[in-house]
Amino acid sequence: MRIVIVDDSSFSIAFIREILEKNGFDVVGEAGTLEEVKAVVKEKKPNLVTMDMTLPGTDGLECTRAIHDIDKNIKVVVVSSMMDDEIVKKAKKNKVSAYIQKPVDADELVTVINRVMASDELYHFLDENYFIVFKEALMDSFNKMTKTIPAYKQEYCSNNEFESDGITIIIGISGKFSGRMLLDLSKETAKQLTAAIFRREPKNDDEMMAVLGEFANIVSGNACSMLNKKNKALGLRVAPPSILHGDSVLISAPGLNTTAAIAETGFGELLLNVGFQRGEEKWI
Amino acid sequence: MDIKYANPFIESFTTIMPQLGYSQIESGNVSEKEQELVHTGVNIIVGIVGGAKGNVVYSMSLETAKKIASTMMMGMPVEELDEMSKSALSELANMLTAGAATAFYNMGIKVDISTPTLLHGENISIKMSSNQVLCVQLLADDIAIETNVAFE
Repeated sequence: MRIVIVDDSSFSIAFIREILEKNGFDVVGEAGTLEEVKAVVKEKKPNLVTMDMTLPGTDGLECTRAIHDIDKNIKVVVVSSMMDDEIVKKAKKNKVSAYIQKPVDADELVTVINRVMASDELYHFLDENYFIVFKEALMDSFNKMTKTIPAYKQEYCSNNEFESDGITIIIGISGKFSGRMLLDLSKETAKQLTAAIFRREPKNDDEMMAVLGEFANIVSGNACSMLNKKNKALGLRVAPPSILHGDSVLISAPGLNTTAAIAETGFGELLLNVGFQRGEEKWI
Repeated sequence: MDIKYANPFIESFTTIMPQLGYSQIESGNVSEKEQELVHTGVNIIVGIVGGAKGNVVYSMSLETAKKIASTMMMGMPVEELDEMSKSALSELANMLTAGAATAFYNMGIKVDISTPTLLHGENISIKMSSNQVLCVQLLADDIAIETNVAFE
């Protein structure tokens, strides 16, 4: 793991460097001014930067913003002698991942860095796996409940508003990261799907909605269990389903990157749309 | 459903709206609805998991939605519900629900919240997970947000 140390005191730099190197981290550079920070981050591409708050001609927050302008994935851990509610709040606003106070305690620094990086890796793990798992859970639920297997015909990143086909089922998800699953289908598809699950026509819309809700609950519940089994730190849990229908309903999830796929089922098309948010780091 | 589940949402609204520049905050009676909710305008859904499991739906008219978005964007005029406005409204739903989560925590119930989903259109029927839905009319100056809460 590549780390850059930002501090205006050569003593502090040497002290932090010693702790980090002793614990197997690779210190790839150091900086004491805004210009130096920009230069070293561009050149060395660190995974993480330790950041002092008081720096000549600049401050830790300005430097943090400059780092994230270069690469928003770089983690910044503030290491400063100043620590109060006000400054910590500002640091959070500026997307600092953690805040520790000088004098630096070696164990604390190492623990905080490991935790920050673990959270990053965990998100990457989720990001790489969630859609595969949700597709599998949907297929599996179709197979078990209707004895048919859908085929996915399109998969795409979906960040734009789209119009509902008729009925939308939304399941909120939370845990280490929060997100949501959405299923969207036409009324006709919903009727046929419900009939196949029930092995008879649904008596009324209420009954159909109840079946759709339970179906979505099973798909999302199974998917989250599978993800939790792969990595128990995710701790994902699902909220109960909400079912919506109306006239030309437009759906969006601003700020959330979602993945969508259209499942070609024996009953018509069904849209599977899932997304998780990176979210704020949990602070100590 | 126990009326106490509505209180965290009222508390959160009362705390957060003044921070956005609203001064006159009012909360109407909490009523219980048994039928499906039908609404024209903007709805934002947030899921809740943990010590209490359910959903909250914030419903408002399109005009109200635009007014709120404008206020949240420092008074920038909002003619139509564009990407930026929807983002502001989602952020509001997120803040209000996170505030409610804190209030739940103070009641000894630990909950986590999902990301918000925004839906707008005409005659949107919403079937929530529980047949009993607590509905609170929340007012901040000239805007009204209907907050519908359902827990299992």
